[in-house]
Amino acid sequence: MKALLATVISLGLTTVVIGNAYYQKKQFYPSIVYLTNSNPSMAVMYLQAFILVLLVGKLLRKIFFGQLRPAEFEHLIERSWYAITETCLAFTVFRDDFNPKFIALFTLLLFLKAFHWLAEDRVDYMERSPVIGLLFHVRILTLLMLLAHADFYFIHHAYQFTAVKGPSVQLVFGFEYSILIIMIVNILIKYVLHAIDSRWEAPWESKAAVLLYTELAINFLKVLLYIGFVAVMVRIYTLPLFAFRPMYETMRSFKKAYNDVVLSRRAIRNMNTLYPDATPAELAAADNECIICREEMHTGAKKLPCNHIFHAACLRLWFQRQQTCPTCRLNVLRAPAPEAAAGAPGPAAPAPPLAGLAPHAAPAPPPPGPVPPPFPNMPPPPPMMAWGMPPPPPPRPASLANLTTAELQRMEGNERRNIEARLQLLREIQAMLDASVLLMQQYSTVVANLPQNNVTVSTQTETRIEELTKESPSTTQGKSEPDVVPTTSSYKQPSPVPSTSKTIVTEDTSPMQPDTTTPVDTNRDKTDVDAADELRRRRLQKFALDK
Amino acid sequence: MAGSALRRLMAEYKQLTINPPEGIIAGPINEENFFEWEALITGPEGTCFEGGIFPAKLHFPPDYPLSPPKMEFTCEMFHPNIYADGRVCISILHAPGDDPMGYESSAERWSPVQSVEKILLSVVSMLAEPNDESGANVDAAKMWREDREQFNKIAEKLVRKTLSLE
Ligand SMILES: [Zn+2]
Ligand SMILES: [Zn+2]
Repeated sequence: MKALLATVISLGLTTVVIGNAYYQKKQFYPSIVYLTNSNPSMAVMYLQAFILVLLVGKLLRKIFFGQLRPAEFEHLIERSWYAITETCLAFTVFRDDFNPKFIALFTLLLFLKAFHWLAEDRVDYMERSPVIGLLFHVRILTLLMLLAHADFYFIHHAYQFTAVKGPSVQLVFGFEYSILIIMIVNILIKYVLHAIDSRWEAPWESKAAVLLYTELAINFLKVLLYIGFVAVMVRIYTLPLFAFRPMYETMRSFKKAYNDVVLSRRAIRNMNTLYPDATPAELAAADNECIICREEMHTGAKKLPCNHIFHAACLRLWFQRQQTCPTCRLNVLRAPAPEAAAGAPGPAAPAPPLAGLAPHAAPAPPPPGPVPPPFPNMPPPPPMMAWGMPPPPPPRPASLANLTTAELQRMEGNERRNIEARLQLLREIQAMLDASVLLMQQYSTVVANLPQNNVTVSTQTETRIEELTKESPSTTQGKSEPDVVPTTSSYKQPSPVPSTSKTIVTEDTSPMQPDTTTPVDTNRDKTDVDAADELRRRRLQKFALDK
Repeated sequence: MAGSALRRLMAEYKQLTINPPEGIIAGPINEENFFEWEALITGPEGTCFEGGIFPAKLHFPPDYPLSPPKMEFTCEMFHPNIYADGRVCISILHAPGDDPMGYESSAERWSPVQSVEKILLSVVSMLAEPNDESGANVDAAKMWREDREQFNKIAEKLVRKTLSLE
């Protein structure tokens, strides 16, 4: 009603203005000159043009969309307000180009943008509408074709203009229409996907994935365009403030698309590796109904550790949101995989992270074959038997630096915090051990400087051993040295293990002690060295004095 | 094939039509759009809302049932868990992770196992037993705690309004 009133009033005003001009000048050309020179007349003409644009917009909207849904209308109004605000901001940058043609071009841009938004909303709605008639397809395809032509025309125009006359406000138009053409491509892809999907009888499972990757690629293109545009604008004019909000939104949706892809890939991988397919018997026991989509399950159903069964496709979508069982909310990332569950006392086993203790030691070599997923409760390695025996290799590189980002992310949440806390604790222990080694060294220096008669022989020998082990880091005998104990390099080649002590000892005892290379034997050596002990001490003492 | 959200909403609608729970009617406002529903909820017996018929709207997201719908009463309401604009604030309507009130455990939150029927039944029990820790309507929560008589009076007035008696 209001629109009709505005139309009638503006039409009346225009008639009056033109009539007045003609009445005064009596001829066509003089009337035109009179009109363009009179500001009030021009104001009326602009108003008339604006009303006409709105009317044409309404007409086209009726043709291509029919009645708008309330949500579509709200969306349109909201986006229009943003666009108008940003256009006003853009005006401040291009004050010098400010003229009626400029305003007309911006109005046209807004006008075309509005149709792009509506087309996008409509195509998104395809998936949710039970009835899609032929009219819908004709309308959307015609509209997309027209919009694409308009976008191309304006991009071409902007390019020609800039090439001939140098940078101007046409840069903004060229950029805006490029964004719009990307949008058209996106809409078209979605349209084709939805159209194909609506023809199939069975659910099309990979459609979600295709949509996901399309989203990622489109948003990536847009981000590139925005960055390029801002860079060009900064070089030639000033910071394009008017482009910041849409640029921020685009970057946010790019980040979201990226996260979605990562989450989806992880969900698919977990699905394929961790959860078994449900057997027909299990399906029958679960009434065959998938609780997520409320449809029957025939094939491709997966069983979670809690024995709840769902469509693999449904579960994948849900896992992109949350890693819990939809029915019982079991955290599936924390839940043990069925086969790993037995005999795993939990993540508190201190042995594996010990390797992470020595950041300056030789990095553990990557385990052969594919890296096993970092289950929070992997079976701990057998406990260390005694000192002097090389620790068993940790089942996987536990050093934080050796984990890939994806693996770390998988342990995120509490698990990750726990591990970090544990590593922190172990680092503190390492620092304490280092400190005590330092203390021992200081002791030994003090002791060495003391007059000989104040110290018993045995004490001196002990400290000498301490020093010896320090000087030869290749030995694993240095039990007071945390750096050496867990490194892979030391237990990879156990042959030189007994080197220092052995060479010294075997000078005299070689006939009765065969050259043992296994650490267990070395260990036994240590237990029945009573006889050799005295000899060794003496040797050591001598060695130290020789030095 | 239509989208999975649409198929599930159709299935739920069918289920609710064949086997409606007592005191609850719900369905799409317009069968061309299954993502906007309206519902009529009868006030639970033996409570101050007894006898009232409360209209509400449900808005379903495109990714239903992965995300929960939103629900709002379209009549005047005075209740600790209903905002002044009619929006319902109960844990079943919140996805785990967003907790506007900071008091809900994730066990009661939205998951695809929930359904329109379960939501509406939860709303009925919410009418019967408000959770006065939620601050959707602070005045109502305070009155529910401190001046039950006054609260009941207001509720009865609302009931009469929904029956067009006032
Ligand atoms: Zn399913
Ligand atoms: Zn479960």
